Amino acid sequence: MIRTEQLCLRIGTFALQQACIKIVNGQYFVLLGPPGSGKTVFLECLCGLKRIDSGKIFIDDRDVTHLEPRARNIGYVPQDYALFPHLSVERNIAFGLFARRYHRKDVASRMTEITELLGIGHLMPRRIDGLSGGEKQRIALARALVLRPKVLLLDEPVCALDEATRQDICGQLLRIQRQLGLTTIHVSHNLKEAFSVADCAAILYKGVIQQVGSLDELLRRPNTEFVARFMRCENIYSGKLISTGTDCSIARINGGIELQVANQVQPGGSEIKLAIRPEDVLVLPRRHHNHKCENQFAVNLVRWRDCGDYMRAELDGPLNVVAHVTHATFVTLKTEGDQGLNVALPLNSIHVIRQ
Amino acid sequence: MRYTLKNTVENPLCGWRDRVFAAVAFFFVFAFVAFVLTLILTDIFYIDSKAVTTVLTSRFIRHALWMSIWTSFATTLIALLFAVPMGYALSRFRFPGRVLADTIVDLPIVFPPLVAGLTLLVFFSQTSLGRWIQEDIGLEFVFQPKGIVLCQFLVAASFCIRSSRNAFDSVDRRHEDVALTLGCTRWRSFYCVCLPLARNGIIAGGILTWARAFGLFGPLMIFVGSFRGRTEVLSTTVFLEQSVGNLEVALAIALLLIFIALFAITIIRLLGGSTRL
Repeated sequence: MIRTEQLCLRIGTFALQQACIKIVNGQYFVLLGPPGSGKTVFLECLCGLKRIDSGKIFIDDRDVTHLEPRARNIGYVPQDYALFPHLSVERNIAFGLFARRYHRKDVASRMTEITELLGIGHLMPRRIDGLSGGEKQRIALARALVLRPKVLLLDEPVCALDEATRQDICGQLLRIQRQLGLTTIHVSHNLKEAFSVADCAAILYKGVIQQVGSLDELLRRPNTEFVARFMRCENIYSGKLISTGTDCSIARINGGIELQVANQVQPGGSEIKLAIRPEDVLVLPRRHHNHKCENQFAVNLVRWRDCGDYMRAELDGPLNVVAHVTHATFVTLKTEGDQGLNVALPLNSIHVIRQ
Repeated sequence: MRYTLKNTVENPLCGWRDRVFAAVAFFFVFAFVAFVLTLILTDIFYIDSKAVTTVLTSRFIRHALWMSIWTSFATTLIALLFAVPMGYALSRFRFPGRVLADTIVDLPIVFPPLVAGLTLLVFFSQTSLGRWIQEDIGLEFVFQPKGIVLCQFLVAASFCIRSSRNAFDSVDRRHEDVALTLGCTRWRSFYCVCLPLARNGIIAGGILTWARAFGLFGPLMIFVGSFRGRTEVLSTTVFLEQSVGNLEVALAIALLLIFIALFAITIIRLLGGSTRL
């Protein structure tokens, strides 16, 4: 288990502020955040490469805050892998074993084990210069894993790879992590990557951990506007809670429209933000008006955009809405939407962010 | 004409504009190399066999050659001893006065050579600290062979330190960081990762230092003089010979100096792999 308590570090104008996380054994944890949010600094603090100003770091309930990097038993794969260009692939992987003065027999057996696990035996005699991005990634992973660390820290491990290789490597990372039962922290700014591996995730922004939880929680119940935006929620509105009832509450969006929202604990008059995920927005032909659905209103189509996996619609009405629909729905809307479109926002699709 | 240079293989020259661009670059390479070769050839054609025989048989010139070689190599070794830790410290650590230290390291490069000799002479003969080093400790430098090394070190070490600092700058710090997480101590990560990666730059600095030390003349004349069989090095021998009118012998010694430098730099480059100055 990895636990950090109130981790603080100031570097120039950047400050990591009271970062607290708890990652259980064997969990694949993804730390998300935009570039410059402090993800790498956070990992370097865990490794012991940056000395923290205050706070504590525990690995399996052992306080490692003041231990040297080599005493923490952490495997670290930095961004761009930092392979040693003056050594062969084999010497790169065995580097840690020689640094820790393992016996030659143990070095050989561990090398065999790791090369079989990652399928990199054929790369052993090669130099680093001629390797592809995917090969470098696997060598860096092998170099970290050969020491059998308790924790694996991956700093943007697949960001330099093409889409297909990225998915392939992510699959491999997850397989190896499950096989070895390794507690893993994977830093990324890519949501797709996170969805392909994460058991749990956190979002870091300007040195502050904004929210920790499952990806579904981050997606459907963001704590802050930043988290909602980072999770690609395109419909965020400022407003006020005007009444709370037993079944539902009413919120007034700045601009006038009132929306029913799921019942809220905060009192009427509270300033709120509403987040509605584009894929939760129902777009219907106007002639198919659904009386059972809440928050339904007419909209005009501004434009459609094909995003590959889905169609993105920008809709203009009492509320400007962005919706993501499947290609099948798009075809239906095109053929049946000659009289215009309606938008419906079901109660459970509207998430209230407290100000 | 098809260009077959290494760097043009991936990016071939297409069209007359590219060719003119390459031709301009080559013109300057050609002009400089031709200029230097012409000067050397002039020297070769000027000297006669008698001068060559004198140079090869003179006991004093052999002694000066030996002095030049050992002092310049000793200077280079001492400079490397200073340059590696200094280059690393200036590259990696932030400390008060770093900018000042960095500037002072470069200062001897812009020192007029005579000033360096004069300053050393004044320090060792006119200051109490200098006299204490010479008289009480017994480390005599003025007009002594040891002084040659000190003088060369003062003037030439900056090249090595600067080059070493640049070499460490170019080594990604993350290589060392990874080595630390893999079980290395700070010393071991320096020795096993940082130093090998900075090797070429450090060797290049060593070559520059050696070349500067080997051909040094001005400050040596002031600080250690040019005593036959004692503190005479090849560069001061050239001066002495031409000042008494033996121009052929002076040029023959100069050619000897040039060929030894050429030979040494080639050997060091070959040993150092792809070292670039």
